[in-house]
Amino acid sequence: MSKRTEAYFRNVPMKPYDLLAEGLVVLLVVAVVVVVLAAVFSSPDYPTVRGEDVANRQPVAFVQTSANILAGNSSIQDYGPPYTSDTDNAQSLFGIAPANWLGVRNRIDPVRDFILTPLEQVAVLNHDVATALDTYEAASPDQQQTWVTAYLSVLDEATVVNGEVRVSPGDYGPVPTLMSGMLDLGRSGLLEGALESNAGLPFTLDFTRSLLFFQDDVYAGVAEKLNLLGDQWGISNETGRYPGAWWLWPYAFFYQIEPMSSSDNADLEVGAIMIGVFLILLLIPLIPVISWLPRWLRVHRVIWRGWYARSDGG
Amino acid sequence: MNVTRQAQRLLIDNLSLEDALPTRMPVYVSSVVYLFGVTTLSALIALVFTGVIMSLFGPVWYHDSNVGHFVNSLHFWSVQVFFGALVLHMVSKYLMAAWRDGRWKTWMVGALAFGVAVLTGLTGFLSQTNWDSQWIAVQAKDAVNALGVGAFFNTMDTGQVLTMHVVVMPLLLVLLVGVHLFFIRREGPVKPFQTEGRHEQAN
Repeated sequence: MSKRTEAYFRNVPMKPYDLLAEGLVVLLVVAVVVVVLAAVFSSPDYPTVRGEDVANRQPVAFVQTSANILAGNSSIQDYGPPYTSDTDNAQSLFGIAPANWLGVRNRIDPVRDFILTPLEQVAVLNHDVATALDTYEAASPDQQQTWVTAYLSVLDEATVVNGEVRVSPGDYGPVPTLMSGMLDLGRSGLLEGALESNAGLPFTLDFTRSLLFFQDDVYAGVAEKLNLLGDQWGISNETGRYPGAWWLWPYAFFYQIEPMSSSDNADLEVGAIMIGVFLILLLIPLIPVISWLPRWLRVHRVIWRGWYARSDGG
Repeated sequence: MNVTRQAQRLLIDNLSLEDALPTRMPVYVSSVVYLFGVTTLSALIALVFTGVIMSLFGPVWYHDSNVGHFVNSLHFWSVQVFFGALVLHMVSKYLMAAWRDGRWKTWMVGALAFGVAVLTGLTGFLSQTNWDSQWIAVQAKDAVNALGVGAFFNTMDTGQVLTMHVVVMPLLLVLLVGVHLFFIRREGPVKPFQTEGRHEQAN
């Protein structure tokens, strides 16, 4: 023993012990348990939701998503840092908005990046889309907004005929053609590639734009069916009947209660609470009352019952 | 100054061979709660082992191959065992007030390791490259961005989260666990309350 442990354990009765044997036995037991659990229950692997899937199975939802983004209704449109410059929209707590500290680091213009740029790629292959895109780009912003808003207002009653999304007649300008181009892009399976197209190709590993494209309604709809929404304790759940990240229950819990459950700053508020909780956990040895509780709770009498029985008897 | 001799002295004073690989233990070390830590460590070994295999074959393998999916399942259940044992370990050490007699560093490094483990788990969920990853990426980004971390950590950048999960976070976790184990072996198991004599009230 070292001088330190020699001094600490002086007068404490010792017993024979085999650290490596104990460790190897436990490792073996854990390995067997894990193999049995994996063999019997497998693991969740719910397939990805791709643009192709949405375009083929829910063409109206696909077009609604695209038209909403074109109309400037994307939740990223005025998100604030790190995507846009609207610092007023960053979550804040007591006037402090950490999101604004480092500013825009990954600039995203949803209308341009999610719709118009991909359509420029479609336009190379489709003359109708090229003409519609020229018309749209040449129009004033007010005219563009009028067309898209009018189109969006009738999309709820849209029907799908021979794979095409049909709406009641109206003045929508080139928007139906543009949306048809987006739908074709989705069906072709090339949407994600068009969204992530950049100088880094073919080594792009950043899927920010394609993940943000469907996050508002399409992903939320899938998540609701799978019990994964925030108000369903989402992040601590798992698809199917599998245990999820249950160790995040305390984190998910704070999203369920007021004022966080109805707050626009819930992420920052819960984040601040969890940082506080973690600091308490970290500093327990130094915090009065919390560090004294174990003695008062007396569970240690159960854990060391053999020792106490021996001491009491002696 | 002889650095090697200094290192020898530091080791002799703090961690003898009997401390590092003990063949004797105080008689009060006689409860199942003393197995929670080694169970956590065993699950971590299982996680590293299965994780290395998954890294060798890449993310597509554990979706398209039965063997790959089975290894993914081993990794998944190792995570569950890891956190289960870790929570039991932390709760039992709290109830034993195991930070007494100068063991506060052991507790704090363990708590830091727990925090890093949770973040490693997050990057793991983001690296699954399935629906869960999609949904968690767009959900977690709001929390990450709100805290100002989004400026340099993007939950939707698969390249970043995968390398974080496979290299950065495990290295950090293993380093902290290593320091935690060093302190544990250096100090030995804390005495039960009543045997502490005049140190009984000390934290």
